[in-house]
Amino acid sequence: MHTYTEKIQNLAKDVLKQGKAEMVIGFKQGTIPMAANPFVAKNENDADNLIWSSTCGLNLANYLPGIKKCEGKIGIIAKGCDSRNIVTHIVENKIDREKLYIIGLPCTGMVDKKQIALLFDDEITQFSEEGNTLIVKSETKEEKINKQEYLRSNCKTCTHRNPVIYDELVSDLVEEQIIEDQFADVKKIEAMSSEEKWDFFDKLTEDCIRCYACRNACPLCYCPTCFVDESGPQWVGKGQNTDDIKTFHYLRAYHCAGRCTDCGACEEACPMDIKVRNFTRKLNKDSLELFNWEAGLDISQRPPLDTYQPDDPDDFIM
Amino acid sequence: MAEKNIKIVSFLCNWCSYGAADLAGVSRLEYPADIRVIRIPCSGRMSAKFILSALREGADAVWVSG
Amino acid sequence: MGNLLEHVGIEKERVHFSWISSAEATKFVDVVKKITEKVRALGPNKKLKKQYN
Repeated sequence: MHTYTEKIQNLAKDVLKQGKAEMVIGFKQGTIPMAANPFVAKNENDADNLIWSSTCGLNLANYLPGIKKCEGKIGIIAKGCDSRNIVTHIVENKIDREKLYIIGLPCTGMVDKKQIALLFDDEITQFSEEGNTLIVKSETKEEKINKQEYLRSNCKTCTHRNPVIYDELVSDLVEEQIIEDQFADVKKIEAMSSEEKWDFFDKLTEDCIRCYACRNACPLCYCPTCFVDESGPQWVGKGQNTDDIKTFHYLRAYHCAGRCTDCGACEEACPMDIKVRNFTRKLNKDSLELFNWEAGLDISQRPPLDTYQPDDPDDFIM
Repeated sequence: MAEKNIKIVSFLCNWCSYGAADLAGVSRLEYPADIRVIRIPCSGRMSAKFILSALREGADAVWVSG
Repeated sequence: MGNLLEHVGIEKERVHFSWISSAEATKFVDVVKKITEKVRALGPNKKLKKQYN
């Protein structure tokens, strides 16, 4: 059991008992190993189901705008990236800070489940972790692996592991990683010629089945009607045409410009293992370089794309 | 010139570039006829969807001007 | 959007942005000429175009 699990359960019980919040959004163990399901605990008994592990990769901030009926406060367990998305929600007026009770969780990274699954020929039957060691078992073999080597790619370059906003902390803050070159992957693509880039993204998206899991997992995507569902005019075709697929990915990424916290929920949710962050990463790099902006760090600051500064770069309108 | 028939879809702001285009016409200035002008009420009306849509529908280039 | 499209392999010259005041007819003409020249040099766009068949 992860060391955080017990603390989370106790904290959640405490929060619910004292009425600091009406519900606590967290994770519960899924029906198969390495699956953590988002879960809303509404009373103390529910809180026993809450867990924490290195497989809780989805972004819980995603569930906040959907909660309509809640008289009291909403409790939420937030790792670094979740907390930044909560800030984004507050800045975008999706939810009031006063409505939230944030249980901050200093994160040590989430694991790449698909990469671990590749180690086995058969199904994984057991998963547990002790500190930095992951113990993964299947019917035929057992592997002990180092968590650091199997982190998700966005966790490897994460520089905001500690929550930026919280009412209570699960444990002491962890040391932040120092990343020398945060955007090495983006620069590699930037160095290519137009044709190479085109082919690279062709290859990247060729498996896309247009399930929109990346959109649904993303806390930024809360539009009542997504552009892919609009029919008059229809911006994107519904089929498996490669250009339609790419148009969807471009627009999805562009809508995240200056808002994306690189939480990796999109890649986590992708059933075809498409590295969709390749699109948003470029925009993150641009917002950092052009506007010195990283999303979701401060609730008092407006994002660069809805403010005007006289020294804004002027070689593009959008 | 005619061997390369290109289409540049231009989104011009009603108050700025569209006015300039109008003035250019009134002043009888000559400019290439490869642009296809779409008047938008303000550059703020511009959406990324329009750019992609134009390219999808066969534009060779897109020009947004405020 | 311009930067993203360049990143995914659409030539930079295919998406232009500019600011022209309603009094600047000559600037308008200059910009149109400049853009047309650049796009002519590139030739017709093939990427992203819808295929009707």
